[in-house]
Amino acid sequence: MQKLTCALLVDDDSTTNYLNQLLINRLQITDKLLVALNGQEALELVKIHCNEATPDCPALILLDVKMPVMDGFQFLEAYNELPLPEKDAIIIVMLTTSLHPQDVDRVQGLNIAGFLNKPLTKEKLNDVLKNHFDRHLPE
Amino acid sequence: MSSTPLSTAAELARANEELRYQLEEAHDLIQAIRTGAVDALAVQGAEGPRIFTLQGADQGYRTLIEQMNEGALLLSEDTTVLYCNACLAGLLECDLSEVMGSTFETFVPLAFQEYWAGLLLKGWAEGKSKGELPLQTRNGALVPFSVSMNVLSFNETPTLAVIVTDLSARREITAIRAQVAEQNELLDRTNAELKREEAARLAGERAAAEASRMLEGISHIAWTVSPTGANTYRNRRWYDYIGQEPGEGPGIGRAWRERLHPDDAPATLARWDESLRTGAPFEVECRIRNGAGGYRWMLGRAQPSRNELGEIVQWIGTYTDIHEHKLALERIDQGQRELRDNNEQLTRVNVDLDNFIYTASHDLKAPISNIEGLLDALLAELPPETSQQEPVQPILRLMHDSVNRFKRTIEQLTDVSKLQKEHGLPTEPVDLAAVVRNVRLDLEPLIQSTGAQLTVDVAAAPIVLFSEKNLRSVVFNLLSNALKYRAPDRAPQVSLRTRPEGAAVVLEVQDNGLGFDATNEHKLFGMFQRFHDHVEGSGIGLYMVKKMVDNAGGRIAVSSKLGSGTTFLIYFSQ
Repeated sequence: MQKLTCALLVDDDSTTNYLNQLLINRLQITDKLLVALNGQEALELVKIHCNEATPDCPALILLDVKMPVMDGFQFLEAYNELPLPEKDAIIIVMLTTSLHPQDVDRVQGLNIAGFLNKPLTKEKLNDVLKNHFDRHLPE
Repeated sequence: MSSTPLSTAAELARANEELRYQLEEAHDLIQAIRTGAVDALAVQGAEGPRIFTLQGADQGYRTLIEQMNEGALLLSEDTTVLYCNACLAGLLECDLSEVMGSTFETFVPLAFQEYWAGLLLKGWAEGKSKGELPLQTRNGALVPFSVSMNVLSFNETPTLAVIVTDLSARREITAIRAQVAEQNELLDRTNAELKREEAARLAGERAAAEASRMLEGISHIAWTVSPTGANTYRNRRWYDYIGQEPGEGPGIGRAWRERLHPDDAPATLARWDESLRTGAPFEVECRIRNGAGGYRWMLGRAQPSRNELGEIVQWIGTYTDIHEHKLALERIDQGQRELRDNNEQLTRVNVDLDNFIYTASHDLKAPISNIEGLLDALLAELPPETSQQEPVQPILRLMHDSVNRFKRTIEQLTDVSKLQKEHGLPTEPVDLAAVVRNVRLDLEPLIQSTGAQLTVDVAAAPIVLFSEKNLRSVVFNLLSNALKYRAPDRAPQVSLRTRPEGAAVVLEVQDNGLGFDATNEHKLFGMFQRFHDHVEGSGIGLYMVKKMVDNAGGRIAVSSKLGSGTTFLIYFSQ
C-alpha cells in the first residue's frame, strides 16, 4: 500500500497518542506522524506545513473533541478561517467517545470527513483509507 | 219757561215757586261762574250771546262731572270746545280758559290728527265712538288717553260729549301687573323646585334610613355616604372594629381613609375617587387598622344607589373581613412559589445529573479504552508461551473481564442518560405479540437452561401505544428478571398477559420466583438497587423500565411475596 505522506494525531491524552502511534506504525500507514496535544498546537503545525504543499502537510488529521486550550470544535472553526491552497487534500476525522446531542448540531456545519468512536482500531483505520484515500491495508 | 195763562191761585203759586227756583238756580250759576266753581262759556249766537254751562243738568250730576277724575268735554260740530271740566284742563296742564273755546285739534299730535278726525266722524255719524290716542300737554309731553264719545243735545244744540281718561296710570298698572305675574310665576317655580328638592331630600333620607336599618343588621361592616363622598352612616360593626363609640373622639379617627394601611392607601383612595367621579361600582382589597392598632385585610365594595331619575342619592358600601382568606391565599402563593423554586431546582439538578452521567460515562470511556488498548498491545508484545503461562493467563483473562464489565456499566449509564432526554418520545401502535416473540428469541438460551415455562396471552389487548424500542426493553427486562430471580427449587413459570382496563392497557408479568419483601418495594425501581447478589445484574433494568413507562404517561405497579413470586403490572395510557 502506498503510504500517506504525513498524518497528524491531535489528542491531549498521551496514552491514547501512544496507542494510536503504535497502531499506525504497526500498520505502516505513514512514515511521518505528527502529534499535537491540543487544537492550538495542531493549528500551528497546519499553518507552518500547509501554506504551501510540503511533504510535512498532513494528509490525514485524527482529531479528538475534548481537549484543553483549544478543543476539536474550536480547532475546526479556526481551521475553516485559514486561507490554505489545498484544503481538499486534507482529510479530518473526529475521534469521540460519545457525542453529546448538542455537539451533533454543532458539527453539522463543519467541514469534516467523518466521526470515529474511540478506541481507534485497525478496521476503523482501514475504512478511512478506503473511503477517503482509495487504498487499503494489506490483509 | 211757560207762558200758559194762569188760572188758579194754586197754579199761580206753583208757577211762582218754579220761577223762584229758576231764579235761585240762575243766581247760583252766576255765583258759581263768578267764583270759578263752574265753567261756562259764552257763545255768540243768533239771538245774542249764550252761556254754555252744564245748566239744566241736575245739580248732583253737575257736581259729579265737575269734580270727577276723568276729563270731560263738549265739542261743537266745528270741534270748538264748548265745555271742559277742571280735570281735563289739569291733564292737559292748561288753564280752563285756554281749553274752552279752543279747537281741540291743537292738543292732538300731528301723527294722530287723521285718527282723531276719524273718531269724530264716527262719533257724529253713529252717535258713539271710542279710541285711544296720545294728547299733547302744554309743555309738549305726550300722554296716552282713551276717549269715549257720545252725541248729546245740549240746550237744543247737538254736541259731542267726550270722556277723556288718562291711560298712563293704567299702563303702569298693567306693567306692574305683568311684573307681579312674572314675579308670581317665578315664585311658583321656586316653590315647585323647593318642593321637589324637599321630596328628593325626604326620599333620600327615607332611603338612607331604610338602608341603615337594613345595614345595621348585617354581619359586615357597612356604611353610606352622600353622592359627594361625605359619610352619612356607619353600622355597629364598624364601631366594634375600630373600638370606638359613635361620636367618640375626633371624627377624623372614625373615617376609614385615615385607617388605611399606608401601602394600600394611594391605590385605594384613587379608585374610590374614580368611583365617586364616574359612578362606577367600587371594589378594592385593602388593609384597615382596627381598634387594637392591627391591620386586617378587607374586601371593600360600594354601589351607588340611584333615584328614579338615575341620579345618585347615596353610596352604600361594605367591608368584609377577608384577612384569614387572604393570608391563606398568600400562604398558598408562598407554597406555590416554593414549589416552583423547588421544581426549578430539581430540574436544574436533573439536568446537572444528566450532564454528570454523560460526562462521567464519556470521561470513563477514554481511560477504559486506553486500558483495553494497552492490554491488547501488551498481549501483542508478549511471547505466546508467556501469555499461556500460569498465572499470566488467568490474570490477563480477569483483566479482560473487568474491562468488559466496566465498559458494560458505562454503556448502561449512557443509556440512562439518553433515556432522560427521551421525554416525549413519539408513540406508535405496537404489536405486542411480535415484540414478545422477538424477546423470547433473545432469551431462548436462558429459557432452555432453566427449563422455564413461558405462557403468553395478549389476545385481550394485542396493541399498545408506545415506542417500539422501549416496549422491547420493558418486555425484555421483565421477562429476564422473572427468569434470573427464579426460585432455586422449582422451574420458572412465567406468564405474560394483557387486558384493557379503562383507557389503559395493562401488561401483567407474573412469576413464581424468589419474590421480595414488600418493605423494599420503594427501592425496587431505584438506580443501581440490587436485592440479590447471587445473580449477575447491574441494578439498572427496573429503573429504566419505570423511567420509560413514566415518560410515556403510564405507571408501573408490583406485588410480591417473598418465596412465592412477583407480579409486575404496567399500565400503558392509550
